[in-house]
Amino acid sequence: MSAIFRLMRNKRLFILMIGLILFIALMGFTFGRNRLTWPEKFVNDAFGTVQGVFYRPVGAVADFFRDLGRLSDVYKENEQLRQTVAQYTQDQIRFNLLEAENKRLQEELNFTERQKNMDNYRYLIAQVVGSTSNPYERTITINLGSKDGIKPEMAVRTVDGLVGLVSKVKNFTSTVTLISNLDPSSSKGSPVSATFLSKPDSFGIIEYDEETKTLLMSKIEEKDKPVDGDTVITSGLGSLFPKGIIIGTVKSSQVGDFGLTYTATIEPAAKFDHLREVFVIVVPEVDEP
Amino acid sequence: MNMRINWAILLGLAFVIAENAIVPWLIPPGWSDRLLPHLTFILTIFVAGYAGRHPAFLFGLGFGLLQDMLAYGHLIGPYGFGMGLIGYLAGLLSEYKSYTISLFSWAVLVFGLLLDSIVYSIYNLFRLTDLQFAHVFYWQVAPTALLQLLIALLLYVPVRRYLVKASLSPGEDNPE
Repeated sequence: MSAIFRLMRNKRLFILMIGLILFIALMGFTFGRNRLTWPEKFVNDAFGTVQGVFYRPVGAVADFFRDLGRLSDVYKENEQLRQTVAQYTQDQIRFNLLEAENKRLQEELNFTERQKNMDNYRYLIAQVVGSTSNPYERTITINLGSKDGIKPEMAVRTVDGLVGLVSKVKNFTSTVTLISNLDPSSSKGSPVSATFLSKPDSFGIIEYDEETKTLLMSKIEEKDKPVDGDTVITSGLGSLFPKGIIIGTVKSSQVGDFGLTYTATIEPAAKFDHLREVFVIVVPEVDEP
Repeated sequence: MNMRINWAILLGLAFVIAENAIVPWLIPPGWSDRLLPHLTFILTIFVAGYAGRHPAFLFGLGFGLLQDMLAYGHLIGPYGFGMGLIGYLAGLLSEYKSYTISLFSWAVLVFGLLLDSIVYSIYNLFRLTDLQFAHVFYWQVAPTALLQLLIALLLYVPVRRYLVKASLSPGEDNPE
Protein backbone atom coordinates (compact mmCIF):
# COMPACT_ATOMS: atom_id res chain seq x y z
CA MET A 1 0.00 0.00 0.00
CA SER A 2 2.79 2.37 0.91
CA ALA A 3 4.48 1.58 -2.40
CA ILE A 4 1.37 2.67 -4.27
CA PHE A 5 1.29 5.86 -2.23
CA ARG A 6 4.88 6.56 -3.05
CA LEU A 7 4.12 5.99 -6.71
CA MET A 8 1.16 8.36 -6.49
CA ARG A 9 3.25 11.01 -4.86
CA ASN A 10 6.00 10.55 -7.38
CA LYS A 11 3.58 10.79 -10.27
CA ARG A 12 3.59 14.56 -10.04
CA LEU A 13 7.35 14.61 -9.95
CA PHE A 14 7.38 12.24 -12.89
CA ILE A 15 5.07 14.47 -14.93
CA LEU A 16 7.13 17.50 -13.96
CA MET A 17 10.28 15.80 -15.22
CA ILE A 18 8.57 14.85 -18.49
CA GLY A 19 7.31 18.42 -18.84
CA LEU A 20 10.76 19.81 -18.18
CA ILE A 21 12.30 17.54 -20.80
CA LEU A 22 9.59 18.45 -23.33
CA PHE A 23 10.14 22.14 -22.73
CA ILE A 24 13.92 21.91 -22.95
CA ALA A 25 13.38 20.09 -26.25
CA LEU A 26 11.00 22.83 -27.43
CA MET A 27 13.44 25.56 -26.43
CA GLY A 28 16.31 23.79 -28.09
CA PHE A 29 14.26 23.29 -31.22
CA THR A 30 13.18 26.93 -31.44
CA PHE A 31 16.62 28.26 -30.44
CA GLY A 32 18.24 30.24 -33.22
CA ARG A 33 15.65 29.31 -35.82
CA ASN A 34 14.92 31.80 -38.54
CA ARG A 35 11.87 30.48 -40.33
CA LEU A 36 8.44 30.57 -38.80
CA THR A 37 5.64 28.09 -39.30
CA TRP A 38 2.25 29.37 -40.44
CA PRO A 39 0.47 29.07 -37.06
CA GLU A 40 3.14 31.30 -35.52
CA LYS A 41 2.81 33.78 -38.35
CA PHE A 42 -0.96 33.76 -38.05
CA VAL A 43 -1.01 34.29 -34.28
CA ASN A 44 1.61 37.03 -34.53
CA ASP A 45 -0.17 38.81 -37.36
CA ALA A 46 -3.53 38.62 -35.60
CA PHE A 47 -2.23 39.97 -32.31
CA GLY A 48 0.00 42.49 -34.05
CA THR A 49 -2.93 43.97 -35.93
CA VAL A 50 -5.11 44.24 -32.84
CA GLN A 51 -2.22 45.66 -30.78
CA GLY A 52 -1.70 48.36 -33.38
CA VAL A 53 -5.23 49.60 -32.81
CA PHE A 54 -4.36 50.28 -29.17
CA TYR A 55 -0.64 51.01 -29.23
CA ARG A 56 -0.75 54.04 -31.51
CA PRO A 57 -3.62 56.02 -29.89
CA VAL A 58 -2.31 55.32 -26.40
CA GLY A 59 1.13 56.42 -27.57
CA ALA A 60 -0.27 59.62 -29.00
CA VAL A 61 -2.00 60.47 -25.72
CA ALA A 62 1.06 59.57 -23.65
CA ASP A 63 3.31 61.65 -25.89
CA PHE A 64 0.94 64.59 -25.63
CA PHE A 65 1.20 64.63 -21.86
CA ARG A 66 4.95 64.19 -21.99
CA ASP A 67 5.22 67.11 -24.42
CA LEU A 68 3.19 69.28 -22.07
CA GLY A 69 5.79 68.62 -19.42
CA ARG A 70 8.59 69.60 -21.77
CA LEU A 71 6.99 72.84 -22.95
CA SER A 72 9.55 74.99 -21.16
CA ASP A 73 12.44 73.43 -23.07
CA VAL A 74 10.98 74.27 -26.45
CA TYR A 75 12.49 77.75 -26.67
CA LYS A 76 16.01 76.50 -26.04
CA GLU A 77 15.55 73.59 -28.42
CA ASN A 78 14.28 75.94 -31.12
CA GLU A 79 17.38 78.11 -30.84
CA GLN A 80 19.60 75.08 -31.12
CA LEU A 81 17.71 73.82 -34.15
CA ARG A 82 18.03 77.19 -35.88
CA GLN A 83 21.78 77.03 -35.51
CA THR A 84 21.87 73.52 -36.88
CA VAL A 85 19.76 74.50 -39.88
CA ALA A 86 22.12 77.36 -40.68
CA GLN A 87 24.98 74.93 -40.62
CA TYR A 88 23.07 72.48 -42.78
CA THR A 89 22.48 75.03 -45.54
CA GLN A 90 26.23 75.64 -45.62
CA ASP A 91 26.89 71.92 -45.78
CA GLN A 92 24.23 71.42 -48.46
CA ILE A 93 26.16 73.61 -50.91
CA ARG A 94 29.34 71.68 -50.26
CA PHE A 95 27.47 68.39 -50.47
CA ASN A 96 25.92 69.24 -53.85
CA LEU A 97 29.31 70.14 -55.28
CA LEU A 98 30.87 66.96 -53.95
CA GLU A 99 28.01 64.81 -55.20
CA ALA A 100 28.25 66.28 -58.70
CA GLU A 101 31.97 65.66 -58.74
CA ASN A 102 31.54 62.15 -57.40
CA LYS A 103 29.02 61.36 -60.13
CA ARG A 104 31.35 62.74 -62.82
CA LEU A 105 34.22 60.62 -61.51
CA GLN A 106 32.02 57.53 -61.39
CA GLU A 107 31.08 58.13 -65.04
CA GLU A 108 34.71 58.48 -66.00
CA LEU A 109 35.68 55.31 -64.20
CA ASN A 110 32.87 53.36 -65.88
CA PHE A 111 31.02 52.34 -62.73
CA THR A 112 28.26 49.87 -63.44
CA GLU A 113 24.66 50.78 -62.67
CA ARG A 114 24.68 48.47 -59.66
CA GLN A 115 27.78 50.03 -58.18
CA LYS A 116 26.31 53.50 -58.61
CA ASN A 117 23.12 52.57 -56.84
CA MET A 118 24.82 50.77 -54.00
CA ASP A 119 24.31 53.59 -51.51
CA ASN A 120 20.78 54.53 -52.59
CA TYR A 121 18.94 53.09 -49.65
CA ARG A 122 15.20 52.91 -49.59
CA TYR A 123 13.49 53.83 -46.32
CA LEU A 124 10.23 52.11 -45.45
CA ILE A 125 8.35 53.86 -42.70
CA ALA A 126 6.81 51.47 -40.19
CA GLN A 127 4.54 52.01 -37.24
CA VAL A 128 5.43 50.25 -34.02
CA VAL A 129 2.50 48.16 -32.82
CA GLY A 130 3.81 46.63 -29.64
CA SER A 131 6.70 45.85 -27.37
CA THR A 132 7.14 42.85 -25.14
CA SER A 133 7.29 42.27 -21.41
CA ASN A 134 10.05 39.68 -21.63
CA PRO A 135 13.22 41.12 -20.10
CA TYR A 136 15.54 38.91 -22.14
CA GLU A 137 13.89 39.38 -25.52
CA ARG A 138 13.86 43.11 -26.01
CA THR A 139 11.84 43.21 -29.20
CA ILE A 140 9.30 45.50 -30.80
CA THR A 141 6.71 44.61 -33.40
CA ILE A 142 6.27 46.72 -36.52
CA ASN A 143 3.39 46.69 -38.98
CA LEU A 144 5.37 45.74 -42.08
CA GLY A 145 5.95 42.16 -43.10
CA SER A 146 7.12 39.95 -45.90
CA LYS A 147 4.28 41.28 -48.08
CA ASP A 148 5.99 44.69 -47.94
CA GLY A 149 9.38 43.32 -48.81
CA ILE A 150 10.86 43.06 -45.34
CA LYS A 151 13.61 40.50 -44.89
CA PRO A 152 15.51 39.33 -41.79
CA GLU A 153 18.64 41.24 -40.76
CA MET A 154 17.49 44.54 -42.22
CA ALA A 155 18.55 47.57 -40.20
CA VAL A 156 15.92 49.60 -38.39
CA ARG A 157 16.42 53.21 -37.33
CA THR A 158 14.53 56.13 -35.90
CA VAL A 159 15.19 59.75 -36.76
CA ASP A 160 17.84 59.72 -34.02
CA GLY A 161 19.79 56.63 -34.93
CA LEU A 162 20.04 52.87 -35.17
CA VAL A 163 17.60 50.94 -32.97
CA GLY A 164 17.84 47.35 -34.10
CA LEU A 165 17.65 44.61 -36.67
CA VAL A 166 14.64 42.81 -38.11
CA SER A 167 14.73 39.32 -36.65
CA LYS A 168 11.51 37.47 -37.47
CA VAL A 169 9.35 38.32 -40.46
CA LYS A 170 5.66 37.45 -40.60
CA ASN A 171 3.23 38.21 -43.41
CA PHE A 172 1.99 41.57 -42.17
CA THR A 173 4.13 42.25 -39.13
CA SER A 174 7.71 41.65 -38.16
CA THR A 175 9.75 41.54 -34.99
CA VAL A 176 12.68 43.88 -34.48
CA THR A 177 15.39 42.89 -32.04
CA LEU A 178 16.63 46.03 -30.36
CA ILE A 179 20.32 46.82 -30.48
CA SER A 180 20.34 46.45 -26.71
CA ASN A 181 19.75 42.75 -27.21
CA LEU A 182 22.51 42.13 -29.72
CA ASP A 183 24.93 39.61 -28.39
CA PRO A 184 28.17 39.13 -30.31
CA SER A 185 29.23 36.22 -28.12
CA SER A 186 26.28 34.11 -29.20
CA SER A 187 26.77 32.38 -32.50
CA LYS A 188 23.55 33.78 -33.90
CA GLY A 189 23.18 37.21 -35.43
CA SER A 190 25.65 39.18 -37.51
CA PRO A 191 27.80 41.71 -35.65
CA VAL A 192 27.32 45.38 -36.41
CA SER A 193 30.55 47.01 -37.52
CA ALA A 194 31.03 50.67 -36.74
CA THR A 195 33.38 53.52 -37.46
CA PHE A 196 34.07 57.02 -36.13
CA LEU A 197 32.69 59.94 -38.08
CA SER A 198 36.00 61.81 -37.87
CA LYS A 199 38.09 58.76 -38.84
CA PRO A 200 36.31 56.97 -41.69
CA ASP A 201 38.90 54.18 -41.83
CA SER A 202 38.51 53.11 -38.24
CA PHE A 203 36.75 49.92 -37.33
CA GLY A 204 35.02 48.45 -34.31
CA ILE A 205 32.32 45.97 -33.37
CA ILE A 206 29.21 47.08 -31.50
CA GLU A 207 28.02 45.10 -28.53
CA TYR A 208 25.76 45.80 -25.60
CA ASP A 209 26.82 45.80 -21.98
CA GLU A 210 23.86 44.57 -19.96
CA GLU A 211 25.44 45.48 -16.65
CA THR A 212 25.93 49.20 -17.36
CA LYS A 213 23.16 49.53 -19.98
CA THR A 214 25.44 51.15 -22.54
CA LEU A 215 26.80 50.15 -25.91
CA LEU A 216 30.41 49.11 -26.28
CA MET A 217 32.51 49.43 -29.39
CA SER A 218 35.34 46.94 -29.18
CA LYS A 219 38.33 45.84 -31.27
CA ILE A 220 39.30 49.39 -32.25
CA GLU A 221 42.80 49.54 -33.68
CA GLU A 222 45.53 51.22 -31.71
CA LYS A 223 46.06 54.03 -34.21
CA ASP A 224 42.40 55.06 -34.03
CA LYS A 225 42.27 56.19 -30.44
CA PRO A 226 38.64 57.09 -29.65
CA VAL A 227 37.98 60.73 -28.85
CA ASP A 228 35.27 61.52 -26.32
CA GLY A 229 32.24 63.07 -27.96
CA ASP A 230 32.99 61.67 -31.40
CA THR A 231 30.00 60.33 -33.33
CA VAL A 232 29.90 56.63 -34.11
CA ILE A 233 28.21 55.47 -37.31
CA THR A 234 27.75 52.10 -38.98
CA SER A 235 30.57 51.36 -41.38
CA GLY A 236 28.72 49.18 -43.87
CA LEU A 237 31.49 46.62 -43.92
CA GLY A 238 29.83 43.30 -44.38
CA SER A 239 27.80 44.49 -47.38
CA LEU A 240 24.32 43.59 -46.15
CA PHE A 241 24.30 46.34 -43.60
CA PRO A 242 23.78 49.96 -44.68
CA LYS A 243 26.47 52.48 -43.81
CA GLY A 244 26.26 55.90 -42.27
CA ILE A 245 23.56 55.31 -39.66
CA ILE A 246 24.27 57.11 -36.41
CA ILE A 247 24.73 54.77 -33.47
CA GLY A 248 25.76 57.17 -30.74
CA THR A 249 28.55 59.27 -29.28
CA VAL A 250 31.67 58.16 -27.46
CA LYS A 251 31.34 58.64 -23.72
CA SER A 252 34.65 57.22 -22.58
CA SER A 253 37.30 54.84 -23.79
CA GLN A 254 39.69 52.37 -22.27
CA VAL A 255 42.34 49.94 -23.40
CA GLY A 256 40.86 46.63 -24.46
CA ASP A 257 41.36 43.09 -23.24
CA PHE A 258 44.88 42.38 -24.44
CA GLY A 259 46.22 45.93 -24.45
CA LEU A 260 46.35 45.99 -28.22
CA THR A 261 42.94 47.45 -28.95
CA TYR A 262 40.66 50.11 -27.56
CA THR A 263 37.15 49.73 -26.27
CA ALA A 264 34.83 52.73 -26.31
CA THR A 265 31.70 53.19 -24.25
CA ILE A 266 28.97 54.65 -26.42
CA GLU A 267 25.91 56.60 -25.44
CA PRO A 268 23.19 55.41 -27.87
CA ALA A 269 21.66 58.18 -29.98
CA ALA A 270 18.23 56.56 -30.19
CA LYS A 271 15.89 55.84 -27.33
CA PHE A 272 14.77 52.24 -27.15
CA ASP A 273 11.52 52.68 -25.28
CA HIS A 274 8.31 54.43 -26.22
CA LEU A 275 8.99 54.10 -29.93
CA ARG A 276 6.22 55.03 -32.32
CA GLU A 277 7.67 55.22 -35.81
CA VAL A 278 10.77 53.57 -37.19
CA PHE A 279 12.37 53.28 -40.62
CA VAL A 280 13.38 49.98 -42.13
CA ILE A 281 16.37 50.46 -44.43
CA VAL A 282 16.27 48.48 -47.65
CA VAL A 283 19.68 48.02 -49.20
CA PRO A 284 19.58 47.64 -53.00
CA GLU A 285 19.74 44.03 -54.09
CA VAL A 286 23.24 42.70 -54.51
CA ASP A 287 23.14 39.81 -56.95
CA GLU A 288 26.42 38.12 -56.30
CA PRO A 289 27.53 35.60 -58.91
CA MET B 1 -15.16 25.10 -10.69
CA ASN B 2 -16.99 28.20 -9.65
CA MET B 3 -15.34 30.57 -12.03
CA ARG B 4 -16.55 31.86 -15.39
CA ILE B 5 -13.62 30.35 -17.20
CA ASN B 6 -14.70 31.52 -20.66
CA TRP B 7 -14.77 35.09 -19.49
CA ALA B 8 -11.41 34.57 -17.81
CA ILE B 9 -9.92 33.41 -21.12
CA LEU B 10 -11.41 36.41 -22.91
CA LEU B 11 -10.01 38.70 -20.25
CA GLY B 12 -6.67 36.93 -20.63
CA LEU B 13 -6.58 37.71 -24.35
CA ALA B 14 -7.40 41.34 -23.60
CA PHE B 15 -4.58 41.33 -21.04
CA VAL B 16 -2.11 39.97 -23.57
CA ILE B 17 -2.92 42.85 -25.90
CA ALA B 18 -2.81 45.39 -23.08
CA GLU B 19 0.50 43.99 -21.86
CA ASN B 20 2.14 44.55 -25.23
CA ALA B 21 0.36 47.67 -26.42
CA ILE B 22 -0.74 49.78 -23.46
CA VAL B 23 1.42 48.93 -20.44
CA PRO B 24 4.71 50.03 -22.13
CA TRP B 25 3.30 53.54 -22.42
CA LEU B 26 2.34 53.71 -18.75
CA ILE B 27 5.83 52.84 -17.50
CA PRO B 28 8.02 55.93 -17.04
CA PRO B 29 10.90 56.13 -19.59
CA GLY B 30 13.79 55.23 -17.28
CA TRP B 31 12.02 52.19 -15.90
CA SER B 32 11.05 50.43 -19.10
CA ASP B 33 13.44 47.52 -18.59
CA ARG B 34 12.76 47.24 -14.89
CA LEU B 35 8.98 47.15 -14.62
CA LEU B 36 7.61 44.45 -16.88
CA PRO B 37 4.37 43.26 -15.29
CA HIS B 38 2.88 40.02 -16.60
CA LEU B 39 -0.85 40.58 -16.48
CA THR B 40 -1.76 37.06 -17.58
CA PHE B 41 0.36 35.70 -14.73
CA ILE B 42 -1.83 37.59 -12.26
CA LEU B 43 -4.90 36.16 -13.93
CA THR B 44 -3.39 32.67 -13.67
CA ILE B 45 -3.12 33.09 -9.89
CA PHE B 46 -6.80 34.09 -9.81
CA VAL B 47 -7.76 31.06 -11.86
CA ALA B 48 -5.67 28.86 -9.56
CA GLY B 49 -7.55 30.18 -6.55
CA TYR B 50 -11.07 29.95 -7.90
CA ALA B 51 -11.01 27.13 -10.45
CA GLY B 52 -8.42 24.67 -9.17
CA ARG B 53 -5.04 23.44 -10.25
CA HIS B 54 -5.81 21.78 -13.58
CA PRO B 55 -7.55 24.76 -15.22
CA ALA B 56 -4.82 27.00 -13.83
CA PHE B 57 -2.13 24.77 -15.26
CA LEU B 58 -3.69 24.84 -18.73
CA PHE B 59 -4.41 28.56 -18.46
CA GLY B 60 -0.83 29.38 -17.49
CA LEU B 61 0.62 27.06 -20.09
CA GLY B 62 -1.52 28.48 -22.89
CA PHE B 63 -1.01 32.14 -22.14
CA GLY B 64 2.66 31.64 -21.36
CA LEU B 65 3.23 30.01 -24.72
CA LEU B 66 1.21 32.72 -26.44
CA GLN B 67 3.35 35.40 -24.82
CA ASP B 68 6.49 33.49 -25.78
CA MET B 69 5.36 33.27 -29.36
CA LEU B 70 4.62 36.99 -29.56
CA ALA B 71 8.01 37.91 -28.10
CA TYR B 72 9.91 35.25 -30.02
CA GLY B 73 13.47 36.31 -30.58
CA HIS B 74 15.74 33.60 -29.21
CA LEU B 75 13.54 30.75 -28.04
CA ILE B 76 9.96 29.77 -27.28
CA GLY B 77 9.00 28.23 -23.99
CA PRO B 78 10.37 29.93 -20.85
CA TYR B 79 7.11 31.62 -19.93
CA GLY B 80 5.06 28.64 -21.07
CA PHE B 81 7.00 26.43 -18.71
CA GLY B 82 7.13 28.90 -15.85
CA MET B 83 3.49 29.90 -15.93
CA GLY B 84 2.25 26.32 -16.38
CA LEU B 85 4.26 25.20 -13.37
CA ILE B 86 3.20 28.17 -11.27
CA GLY B 87 -0.45 27.71 -12.20
CA TYR B 88 -0.26 24.15 -10.93
CA LEU B 89 1.63 25.08 -7.75
CA ALA B 90 -0.75 27.94 -6.96
CA GLY B 91 -3.68 25.60 -7.57
CA LEU B 92 -2.23 23.06 -5.12
CA LEU B 93 -1.74 25.82 -2.55
CA SER B 94 -5.32 27.00 -2.90
CA GLU B 95 -6.57 23.46 -2.31
CA TYR B 96 -4.68 23.15 0.96
CA LYS B 97 -5.42 26.58 2.38
CA SER B 98 -8.42 28.84 2.00
CA TYR B 99 -7.83 31.58 -0.48
CA THR B 100 -8.05 34.77 1.53
CA ILE B 101 -6.80 38.10 0.29
CA SER B 102 -3.62 37.91 2.36
CA LEU B 103 -2.75 34.46 1.04
CA PHE B 104 -3.56 35.71 -2.45
CA SER B 105 -1.22 38.70 -2.09
CA TRP B 106 1.58 36.47 -0.86
CA ALA B 107 0.97 34.09 -3.74
CA VAL B 108 1.20 36.89 -6.32
CA LEU B 109 4.39 38.23 -4.74
CA VAL B 110 6.22 34.95 -4.18
CA PHE B 111 5.14 33.27 -7.41
CA GLY B 112 5.96 36.48 -9.29
CA LEU B 113 9.51 36.31 -7.94
CA LEU B 114 9.61 32.61 -8.75
CA LEU B 115 8.38 33.09 -12.34
CA ASP B 116 10.99 35.67 -13.26
CA SER B 117 13.67 33.61 -11.52
CA ILE B 118 12.70 30.55 -13.56
CA VAL B 119 12.80 32.60 -16.76
CA TYR B 120 16.18 34.03 -15.79
CA SER B 121 17.61 30.58 -15.10
CA ILE B 122 16.37 29.27 -18.45
CA TYR B 123 17.99 32.15 -20.33
CA ASN B 124 21.12 31.67 -18.25
CA LEU B 125 21.09 27.96 -19.05
CA PHE B 126 21.08 28.73 -22.77
CA ARG B 127 23.82 31.36 -22.26
CA LEU B 128 21.61 34.14 -23.56
CA THR B 129 22.29 36.37 -20.59
CA ASP B 130 25.47 36.62 -18.58
CA LEU B 131 24.12 38.82 -15.82
CA GLN B 132 24.44 37.84 -12.17
CA PHE B 133 21.23 36.68 -10.53
CA ALA B 134 21.63 39.21 -7.70
CA HIS B 135 21.77 42.02 -10.23
CA VAL B 136 18.74 40.78 -12.17
CA PHE B 137 16.83 40.28 -8.93
CA TYR B 138 17.46 43.84 -7.80
CA TRP B 139 17.12 45.35 -11.25
CA GLN B 140 14.03 43.68 -12.65
CA VAL B 141 12.57 40.78 -10.66
CA ALA B 142 11.81 42.53 -7.38
CA PRO B 143 10.33 45.78 -8.81
CA THR B 144 8.23 43.79 -11.26
CA ALA B 145 6.86 41.53 -8.53
CA LEU B 146 5.91 44.52 -6.40
CA LEU B 147 4.14 46.19 -9.31
CA GLN B 148 2.34 42.92 -10.04
CA LEU B 149 1.17 42.80 -6.43
CA LEU B 150 -0.25 46.31 -6.78
CA ILE B 151 -2.05 45.47 -10.03
CA ALA B 152 -3.38 42.23 -8.54
CA LEU B 153 -4.85 44.06 -5.56
CA LEU B 154 -6.51 46.56 -7.90
CA LEU B 155 -7.98 43.67 -9.87
CA TYR B 156 -9.10 41.68 -6.83
CA VAL B 157 -12.53 43.21 -6.34
CA PRO B 158 -13.56 43.36 -10.04
CA VAL B 159 -12.42 39.79 -10.63
CA ARG B 160 -14.36 38.48 -7.63
CA ARG B 161 -17.44 40.38 -8.65
CA TYR B 162 -17.54 39.50 -12.34
CA LEU B 163 -15.54 36.33 -12.84
CA VAL B 164 -16.42 34.31 -9.76
CA LYS B 165 -19.92 32.91 -9.66
CA ALA B 166 -21.52 34.73 -6.79
CA SER B 167 -24.05 32.11 -5.74
CA LEU B 168 -21.47 29.45 -5.01
CA SER B 169 -18.38 31.28 -3.95
CA PRO B 170 -19.23 32.42 -0.38
CA GLY B 171 -20.40 29.00 0.73
CA GLU B 172 -17.69 26.96 -0.91
CA ASP B 173 -14.77 29.25 -0.37
CA ASN B 174 -14.72 28.99 3.41
CA PRO B 175 -15.61 25.46 4.42
CA GLU B 176 -13.49 25.60 7.56
